[in-house]
Amino acid sequence: MPSTLRAEGIRHVYRGGSGELLALDGVSLSVDEGEFVAIVGPSGCGKTTLLRILGGLLTPTEGWVHLNGQPLSSPRRQVGYVFQNVNLMPWRTVLRNVMLPLEVAGVPRGVAEERARQLLALVGMEGFEEAYPRQLSGGMAQRVAIARALVGSPGVLLLDEPFGSLDALSREQMNLELLRIWQARRVTTVMVTHDLQEAIFLADRVLVMSPRPGRIRTQVVVDLPRPRTLEVVYTEFFGALSRRVREALDASSAL
Amino acid sequence: MAGRLPRWDVAPKTLVFGAFSFDGNGAVLMQKQENRQLLSGTERRVWQGGRSLVRFARQRFELLLVPVAMAVFVGVWALIGRLGNYPPFLLPTPVQVWNRFLTVAADGTLWYHTSITLWEILGGLVLGLTTASLLGYLLAKSPLLERFLSPYIVASQSVPIVALAPLLIVWFGFGVLSKVLVCALTIFFPVLINTMIGLRTVERDLMDLMRALQASRWQVFRYLELPASLPVLLGGLKIGVTLSVIGAVVGEFAQSDRGLGFLVNLANRGLFDTPLMFVALLVLMTIALSLYGIVSVMEWLLLRWKRES
Repeated sequence: MPSTLRAEGIRHVYRGGSGELLALDGVSLSVDEGEFVAIVGPSGCGKTTLLRILGGLLTPTEGWVHLNGQPLSSPRRQVGYVFQNVNLMPWRTVLRNVMLPLEVAGVPRGVAEERARQLLALVGMEGFEEAYPRQLSGGMAQRVAIARALVGSPGVLLLDEPFGSLDALSREQMNLELLRIWQARRVTTVMVTHDLQEAIFLADRVLVMSPRPGRIRTQVVVDLPRPRTLEVVYTEFFGALSRRVREALDASSAL
Repeated sequence: MAGRLPRWDVAPKTLVFGAFSFDGNGAVLMQKQENRQLLSGTERRVWQGGRSLVRFARQRFELLLVPVAMAVFVGVWALIGRLGNYPPFLLPTPVQVWNRFLTVAADGTLWYHTSITLWEILGGLVLGLTTASLLGYLLAKSPLLERFLSPYIVASQSVPIVALAPLLIVWFGFGVLSKVLVCALTIFFPVLINTMIGLRTVERDLMDLMRALQASRWQVFRYLELPASLPVLLGGLKIGVTLSVIGAVVGEFAQSDRGLGFLVNLANRGLFDTPLMFVALLVLMTIALSLYGIVSVMEWLLLRWKRES
């Protein structure tokens, strides 16, 4: 079941040996049921920090996060998380990697396997069940990671630059795949990326962040019709949207 | 050859591969599939048969090297004995050692002492492995505890076990218990260090994943920490089992009236029965090799994922 995600007044300070670092300051956002929101910003602006807070992996110094109206202070199984560096267990086969969340949740083995196979079919990884992660290419591994994030039927999917390490062609391919999967599941999605085109192509709304300390500078609503195909990238409207996001990003960086 | 090229139709799987072979490995994978598709059924069978034959022969060849190396060793030993014509108490010949082996094996002496040493090793391994891995886990998890205890642990390693063994015998009697303790102490440090290193190699991101899945302490251990550190743990175990044999013998050397270490001592200093000493030493080596072999088999079974590539 899709969920709503709300964050209000998020401020986060990292405390280290060399002093304090204000990573996020006054970030508020709200994501509706089944919405796809992309967060873009220059590197080091606290995008990943924000996503970790939204996932309950990190407790913000100030502010709160609500999932379906309930305060969220620790990780929940209703939130599926896709990490920047794939993060599969090298000693588990593809199938067993996808089964992991269900095994941890205490789902019986047979049911877990059945569900995992369905998810692998959804992400187009049928036939690779018994392969080990190191036998996969970057794109294939990321598909498995997405299957793993979705296998517990989460209401929210959080993606941290999932295709950052892929080459341009694989990246396009994976963007299409992600759209297809998202359309099939209609799960509330927040994706962090530094690729503007990717953000606009995928999202309903693009939030633009400023350099550190990260703040949400502006949002651009992407009212491109769905389902979208790669051709949409070449339309004039897409170009105009790109320019708006680009300008917002530049303006926030100049401050 | 041209007639064989459009074999895509009989290989629907190739098309599946083709669907996402944009990135490096995928493309390679596809190419391999293609090449195989170009061969007819018989050709493929012959090709695969030939390949597995070559692999089989290569493996056999490597296995053959073990007895060959042993034969060379025994041959050189026999040759030195023959050329020098040394008295048996100085350097017995392989035949003399073999005959001595047959007599002590027949009258049960050898088995009696071997079983004593095996029990000491087993006890030492169980005690040493459990304490070292438990403490290793705690130290890896708690930097505070590590800072508190590590000076003592490191300092304890500068005390030779040979010097410690007599003291342990005074404290715990000269039965099996004191040998078990010496053996456990010998393997303690390498196993402890390997446990700590193993647990510290667990990736932070995978820890985050387990947190995101709301895994319990036990689940984190079972699903992540144990399998992630297993390669290093098994490395520590390999060192541990080899040292355990030395540990038991050191204990027996300090003071004992049974065991293979006792037998070596007795044969060497009491009876001047060098062939018997060689028999005991060879049995000790066999024990160490067998223990090492067992751990290697465990490695082979448990780390299958490391072999696949």
